[in-house]
This record gives sequence, C-alpha cells and structure tokens, in this order.
Amino acid sequence: MKSKRVEVKLSLPVVAPLLDVIRELSLELEKTLAAPQALHDLDQEFRGAWIDELLQGQNDDLKALLALFGGEFFTEGVVSFDETNAEPIVRACTAIRLQLRERRLKSLSDDALETGDIDMEGLDEQVRKAFMCYLFLATVQELIIQHLDSSIIGS
Amino acid sequence: MLNDPVNLMSYVVMVFKKVLGFDETKARRHMLEVHEQGRSVVWTGVRETAEAHVFSLQQWHLTAVLEPDEKQAR
Repeated sequence: MKSKRVEVKLSLPVVAPLLDVIRELSLELEKTLAAPQALHDLDQEFRGAWIDELLQGQNDDLKALLALFGGEFFTEGVVSFDETNAEPIVRACTAIRLQLRERRLKSLSDDALETGDIDMEGLDEQVRKAFMCYLFLATVQELIIQHLDSSIIGS
Repeated sequence: MLNDPVNLMSYVVMVFKKVLGFDETKARRHMLEVHEQGRSVVWTGVRETAEAHVFSLQQWHLTAVLEPDEKQAR
C-alpha cells in the first residue's frame, strides 16, 4: 500500500526569514524542556532519567522540523509531510510555539495570542517576526492534523 | 491535565486520541474541560500505567501531572 504524503507549497519570501527564528529557538531548547513539568512525585534519579528522555525526544523532533526546510524548500518552496515526519514535526511546532510565547512574545497577552487579534503594524519588528512564526507553525500543525489520516496520526 | 494557552484545540484532541485511546467525542469533552476549567482528570488507575500516560502526554508538550486518587487514599 502506498503511504500517504502531503506536499505544500509555501511562499519562500515569507517563510524563509522565519527559519532564523526557528533555528534560534531550537538551539535554546537543546537543554531545556519547552513545557517544564512538575515531577515532584518522582524520586530524583528517576526524575533525571525522565527529563533526559523528554529532552532527547524534543531534540529529535526539532531536527525533523528543521529537516523539512531542505533543498526542495529553497528551490521550489515545497515541503512534504508523511508518516515518518508528521508526528515529530507537529510536536516540534508545539515546542517552538511554547518557547516563542515564553521568550519572544511576553509583551502579548494570552488572549491576543489565542485569538490572533493583534495589530501587526504596531508591533516591534522582532516581535512581529516572532508572532508570524507562531502563526506559521500553528498553520503547519493544522495542515498535518487535517490532511494526514488516522493511519498516520491522530489515533 | 492542565490548561495552557498555546496548544491548538485540534492538537489537544489529537493527542488525547493518540495517547489515551479516546474517541473523538471523549477527546473533545476532556479538551473543553481543560480549556474551560483549567484541568481535567483524563485517566485513573495503577501508578505504572499513569506514569506511562503522563510521560507520553509530556512528550507532546502537554502539562500533565500525577496525583493520588483522593477517594482511594482515604
């Protein structure tokens, strides 16, 4: 049976500048969990192993996201999702979005982030770029969740 | 499960289905409970299985915590 694959053509001039933000945040997340977890109920040794494994998975996912923007993206603007990269990319998008909120979008309220009701023109250039990245990654997640069926993701 | 302002509703539903084996209706119900009340008890049972679920939810960057079952603890 042929595996399902979704190809998406992106606007190179719009998306390429956001990759710098994604790369920077991926570096920040090398040794930090995007969603710090309360693990008080675990003994110290177990907690350490637990966090190490979460971090390893997070880093693997971020590599999958960065690999999405390879040669085909820079020549054709095309990225593709399939059963091997869909889940890691969806998780990595969440990791980057959490880090964006924590480190780059503190000046915006959670309500504004959730509704997207933000005056882009009124934002500082760095915040605008971070917010565009935040929206772009949400769009990638929606695309994957909507278009890849349950045999690949979702159940 | 605790609420967070970042994750998409569709994402949370997908993770509940994938990690906890919920159907669409149950996944949406717990997602809305988290969204509106700030938390939802998504699974109860033996500790080892609970730990495995919490770990899986945390792999998806959801904020999941282990808590003793108060009814059983009495």
